[in-house]
Amino acid sequence: MLTTLREVQIPLLAVLLLGSCAVRAWRTLSPRPGTAAGMGPTGLFPLRLRRPVMIIMYATELSLGLGLAVTAGRVGDVWLRVPATIVRMTTALFFLIAVGVLNEMRQRRPDSGCGCFGELSDTPIGLRTIARAALLAASAAATIGVPALRMPSSFAAAELWLAVLAFELVLIACLSPELGEILVRLGYSEPCELRRLPVGRTMSALYSSSQWRKYAAQLCTAEPADLWREGCWRFVVYPGIVRGRRVDIVFAVYLQAHRPAIRAAVLDAATDEILGRAEARESAVI
Amino acid sequence: MPRRGDDVTGSASPARFARRPLLKAAVLGRPDESDLSPITAFNGGLGPAERSLVYAVIGTILDVSPHILVLQTARGEQRFPLAASAEAWRGGAISPAALRQGDHAIVRRSLPGGPVVDRIWAEIGRVTGTIIERAGPARLLVDEGPAKGRRIVMIAPEATRRIQVRFPRLEPGYLLDVIGLKHDGFLKALIPATSQPPYRAGHAPAPPLVSGHIPDPVSGTAVWHEPGEEPESLLGLAYPALDPETSCEHGAFMPPSQAGDQYAVDPHATGPGCVRLPYLSLGSLLRLRNDCAGRTRLVPVTSCGATARLFCDRCVTCGTSRKGRIADLTMATFVELGGALEVGCFNATMMIGG
Repeated sequence: MLTTLREVQIPLLAVLLLGSCAVRAWRTLSPRPGTAAGMGPTGLFPLRLRRPVMIIMYATELSLGLGLAVTAGRVGDVWLRVPATIVRMTTALFFLIAVGVLNEMRQRRPDSGCGCFGELSDTPIGLRTIARAALLAASAAATIGVPALRMPSSFAAAELWLAVLAFELVLIACLSPELGEILVRLGYSEPCELRRLPVGRTMSALYSSSQWRKYAAQLCTAEPADLWREGCWRFVVYPGIVRGRRVDIVFAVYLQAHRPAIRAAVLDAATDEILGRAEARESAVI
Repeated sequence: MPRRGDDVTGSASPARFARRPLLKAAVLGRPDESDLSPITAFNGGLGPAERSLVYAVIGTILDVSPHILVLQTARGEQRFPLAASAEAWRGGAISPAALRQGDHAIVRRSLPGGPVVDRIWAEIGRVTGTIIERAGPARLLVDEGPAKGRRIVMIAPEATRRIQVRFPRLEPGYLLDVIGLKHDGFLKALIPATSQPPYRAGHAPAPPLVSGHIPDPVSGTAVWHEPGEEPESLLGLAYPALDPETSCEHGAFMPPSQAGDQYAVDPHATGPGCVRLPYLSLGSLLRLRNDCAGRTRLVPVTSCGATARLFCDRCVTCGTSRKGRIADLTMATFVELGGALEVGCFNATMMIGG
């Protein structure tokens, strides 16, 4: 069990390091490199040093990730496992330094994220982030002395290997503030409060509604006196006359593509007394 | 064709905006219509606005002694006893007696509507926007957005190091947000109001995506701005996400025509900023809470605050706020909610629709 636990750390650390490196490299090559330049621990350095420091971090993560992967097999076992030991000790040292840097950032720049996985790591550094770095440092230390990895010898051994890997992934996920952001991105659909719908489509939906037909004869003008939006609703106000009284007829149109709900109210223009209110769900497509 | 949108920069009708919450409540059947009385602040008339302010008073200093402050306000000459612990700011913390006659001041009462004053800010100003020109080491031309225009900022020699630590790139194309003393035609910058975002203006990172509905309430940073064309004692805020179809995004952005214009950024063209806010309009009511002072007010949206989208910062006045500016308050509202102007921000929670 303990041997399996130690073995699992090697591919896990390699994937994490290469993944982090890939995300950061993608951010640096994106059209807004300035955003990435100020993120994470580089923000602790003077401006002129930030880019070199970031490049050094990429190079270190890439080297360690590749080093762990390459030395996991027989390549790392030559010369009394010296290559594998050097790479794993360096990885442990890297994560130990990360613990110190994150703690320092938490004190000095409490508003900054760790930048570990680019924009996904925007959440201010908390104890969870530091604990994750500490866990990875311990994981890297645990790999020192592990012999070359081989395929599991039996089905039971493979099951144990996978179970340990799953447990550790869950543990890392619990310590990762990035997880919530990833889940949101996977299941995204634009909320109606943010949807941009042209006024013309709102008006089309209104004109084809039963609410409109009900009040159209009482309107004094063809164009609205006011038109505005709040969140998921767009409001349209027309002046009108009902039984000889000057009124304001207010329509509220829900901002959705199909069958928008439409409500209407009639207010006395002088006293603001509500004279009537109605609601309908329309079949119009806007 | 009559206007369909909100003419933010032109001859908009405040009465029309003030009536919107009432019409909305009528058509959506909201029960708390009694809450709508503070919208009278929107009328822009000094009377109702003054009545709405219970902590903040704005005026010109006529006389000051260690115990009494005399202000010329919209209501005429007013005398305010100074609390023993009263503090004053005029480029830095000073004794209230050191304030000068003729200074423009905003003061905060100890108790709502009470006579005693415990904080005074004199000649305080703020410039927030994109640096579009730098002349010499200390003179900057800053574009505050299409609605507010441009301001000259002179960095005070004694504040140079302090500002450069927080704003290392005092170059065209980068953002600036500084607080200082107002002078004729320029602001003498003394205090960095935030840390400079590392990106160029207009390159704010994309906000996190939101599934379902926008969370209500929304948390983030509330900042303040100088009144500009607005009445000084207006209770209101500039909202960063006005409806793009009918509000301030309709204001035409001038194409580059002068030196430095290529650095000016149209905040409406840069995406939603780093916090996703629901689209609202002028007149929309928001219930805003200063999380640091525990004070809450119902505040109407009174202007376009798209420049706030360019800043993706946090306020650390009391703990660390969520990222992004959710409201750009008038000075009077900021003080009314218990904010300290020289600090520049407070951690805020905003409930949409009151």
